[in-house]
Amino acid sequence: MGLGFLVPLFLAGLAALAIPVFIHLRHREWERPHRFPSLMFLRRIPIRTARRRRITDWLLLLLRAAVVALLVLAFARPFFRQNAAAIAAARARAVVVLLDRSLSMGHREVWPRALDSAAAVVRSLGPNDRVAVVRFDEQTELAQALTTDHATALAVISATVPTSRGTRYAAGLRAARQALIGAGDPGEIVVVTDLQRSGLAGLAGVDLPAGTLVRTASVAAQDRGNLSVLGADVQRLPSAARSELLVTARVRARDLPGARKARILLTVDGRAAGTKEASVPVDGVVTVSFDPIPLSSGRARAVVSLEPDALAADDTLRLVIPAEAGLRVLMAGARGSSGDDMLFAERALGIGRDPRFTVERRQVIDPAALRGASVVLWFDASPPETVLAPWVREGGGLIIVAGARLGEGNSLLPGTSGGMVERLGDGGGSFGEVSVDHPIFSLFKEGGTAVLGAARFLRYPRIAPGEGSQVLARFDDGAPLLLEKSVGEGRVLLVAAPLDNLMGDFPLQPAFLPFMRRLAIYAAGHRVSPLWRTTGETGIVPGGVREPVISTPGGELVRPASDSAPCTVILEEAGFYQTYENRAAGEPIEVVAVNPPSAESDLTPADPRELLIGVRQSDSTSAIPRERLAAAEEESRQGIWRLLLGAVLVLLVLEALVANRGWRGAAAAVLPAPPERKSP
Amino acid sequence: MTVTAPAAMLDPALLARIGDLPLLARTVVDGFMHGLHRSRRVGLSLDFAEHRAYQPGDDIRRIDWRVYGRTDRHFVKEYEADTNATVIFALDASASMDFASGPITKFHYGRVLTASLAWLSQRQGDRIGLVTFSEDLIDVVPPSTRHLQLLLHTLGRSRAAGAGRFAPILERAARLMSRAGIVVVISDCYEDPALVQHSVGALRGRGHDVVLFHVHDPAERDLPGDAPITYEDAESGERLPLRPEVLRPKYQAEVEAHRRELARLLGQDRVDYVPLLTTQPLDVALHAYLENRLATSRVR
Repeated sequence: MGLGFLVPLFLAGLAALAIPVFIHLRHREWERPHRFPSLMFLRRIPIRTARRRRITDWLLLLLRAAVVALLVLAFARPFFRQNAAAIAAARARAVVVLLDRSLSMGHREVWPRALDSAAAVVRSLGPNDRVAVVRFDEQTELAQALTTDHATALAVISATVPTSRGTRYAAGLRAARQALIGAGDPGEIVVVTDLQRSGLAGLAGVDLPAGTLVRTASVAAQDRGNLSVLGADVQRLPSAARSELLVTARVRARDLPGARKARILLTVDGRAAGTKEASVPVDGVVTVSFDPIPLSSGRARAVVSLEPDALAADDTLRLVIPAEAGLRVLMAGARGSSGDDMLFAERALGIGRDPRFTVERRQVIDPAALRGASVVLWFDASPPETVLAPWVREGGGLIIVAGARLGEGNSLLPGTSGGMVERLGDGGGSFGEVSVDHPIFSLFKEGGTAVLGAARFLRYPRIAPGEGSQVLARFDDGAPLLLEKSVGEGRVLLVAAPLDNLMGDFPLQPAFLPFMRRLAIYAAGHRVSPLWRTTGETGIVPGGVREPVISTPGGELVRPASDSAPCTVILEEAGFYQTYENRAAGEPIEVVAVNPPSAESDLTPADPRELLIGVRQSDSTSAIPRERLAAAEEESRQGIWRLLLGAVLVLLVLEALVANRGWRGAAAAVLPAPPERKSP
Repeated sequence: MTVTAPAAMLDPALLARIGDLPLLARTVVDGFMHGLHRSRRVGLSLDFAEHRAYQPGDDIRRIDWRVYGRTDRHFVKEYEADTNATVIFALDASASMDFASGPITKFHYGRVLTASLAWLSQRQGDRIGLVTFSEDLIDVVPPSTRHLQLLLHTLGRSRAAGAGRFAPILERAARLMSRAGIVVVISDCYEDPALVQHSVGALRGRGHDVVLFHVHDPAERDLPGDAPITYEDAESGERLPLRPEVLRPKYQAEVEAHRRELARLLGQDRVDYVPLLTTQPLDVALHAYLENRLATSRVR
């Protein structure tokens, strides 16, 4: 049994033992001096300096030195080492195995090692040690709470399979922290992972309890060469009878041992639609265009795949090619109008696909004409409210092109005209403030509004915004250029910019065509679905579907709660999610392709220390060895420092008594001699 | 009616409790005189000096009838006490005087002694003056037969402070006297004996009689105590850590040698050197003073 110290650095304070010695040697210098009439005679007597330096009160010196020494020892927190070592040996541990099951862990070389490493951690534990298993990717799952049943933990580990999701270490560490709550002792977290760098984001906010030991079991692949399908573009080409589909795929190569040939296969609706061979570099992206495929206008599912490599999960890209959309646009204007002002809009909407616009000029707009129409363009007059208002409320889109004849008192109008603005004198007006985040103008966001700014407007109406309307764009003089107003399920857009080439040159500018298409698409409420989604995202069930049933890629049927709108489902697996109404039979209402995040294809590992960067207290706590913790516990249990402080108090009382004992007190005073009397 | 005090009132420990200096001085002198009456010693006030012719207004009780019988002329007796002398009291008010190991400091003892002697001199018709000094003259009361109250008041408010400079001050004090008189010096004499002799000798050279009361505190003489202690000079503030029990014999030898040297040197100049302890009754000093006055008168 040896004496140990929890904070041995405090023993340096023993140097303070010199203080009482110094005080004793210098005692008389500090003592209250005795006032004497004159030192004239005393100065004449030779005095040896050495005698002044002599310690005169050994008992007092020893008491004071003992007080200092005991104080130093108390601060050093002494304990008997043998007991601490025994406790350290017998102490039960609480270990959380944090098992990474993200897509990258599905690497042929990595996953068996990961399972083995996790199992080895469990097998290394003592019989009293508790273990928990937490699986994590982008999400976390407490697969096994803290238990001493190691066999169950091993079974949980062996039953774990890699998922199609990304990696988020922060979520995993937080889940491990939760698993350690109630463990009593500072626990240990063993992260079994390939240390994929893309998963490190968000670690800065992680806070682990003091004393938690974080250890990493790296199972990163030695061969990090990987080929993956990064993405694909799909374009419908106009054709006489049927449309044709042009698919372009991008293949990403990372850390390959050398450039090689890769075979890329395209499958559409389950049938092989093309095969391409491409030379891929050691590190880079290759774009491959398949031959055009004849395709019906309906929805199609396509799969671009590579020959499987070590990480097969990212060798396949699934996409859903939406059905060719057709939007019917009705154009009308004030009675007696020549229709010349409609020409440019009509031509602009007639160009392009996805969606394809079918434009019809109408003299009269009636309910029968509105049936099946998506957008109505009304030129230079107040629209017939009685006919259009019900249609708009049910979801129709109305675009009013304002002119000199725009009337008032129409509830559909987003604003009222306040006369015409003549800009002939200053060279014409132009686009001023534009809401570039709005879907109509988002196309112009990246390039700025310079493209729009080229247009000139010589004459336009000054619109005063009405109640409930929103100004989406203004002329350079501040007058509203485009206003929006929601009416029921539909929306009304009022365009103050002239759409002909008489009062401006906007139709002649490059921005006119995309502006008109975006305007019509937005007014129609047309939604362009992405070709694919990424795992971990939330999918929204289309509105209007009653009792939706979702078939997951794994074959499970999910019925999302229909009591809240919109119904959502988390896209956890890679594959095709199909939404049905009532029951999973027949043609699905909607199909969503889900692919794993492309970041998972990058197998570059991070340094294990990076895992702890930003994790508060982890650096210091991970450095505390288990023996140190046991020693701290033992020291706390023995509490020797309390005894030492008690002894210090006793010694201080003794010191006070000794310091003021009688002969010293008398020595400070100068006693007068007895009075001498002379006899008279 | 004269109220006399008992001789016990001459004990310094008792006198230290009396704050009123005039009362103190009167008590001391009356007590002293009361003791004289009981003793067989004769004072100067009864000593015959000379005869002079009677003049109208003289007390007829002072007519010497025996001379009248021989000469048939009226003569009255003149006594020594009736002759006026000038007495200057020089009181050392340096900081070293403000020391006491008992109930009375050296300075207070000196004040009581000065007041008592002044009172005594006044009763004998002397002109009395006062000088208090430390580094310089502090208070000066010119000699006069009417300055007793002023002298006592000045003594009452004087305080001991500062360093002492013995020699030059005495010379300046002596200049206050236009004719030869008595200089009574009350000091603890922390000076070189040769310097004291030089200063006092100068006074003697001008025809003054000098009485030097060397006031000691018992602690100054004995250096008591056993434990190490730091001494601080009352005047200079200098500190000296010492073990008194080791140094005591040498110290006492130094003090005694100083006293002997003072007595020897001052004796050569016929200066009355009176060492006093603050524990000694004041009658010792008064006797010494009166003896000096007697000797002076006889010489005269």
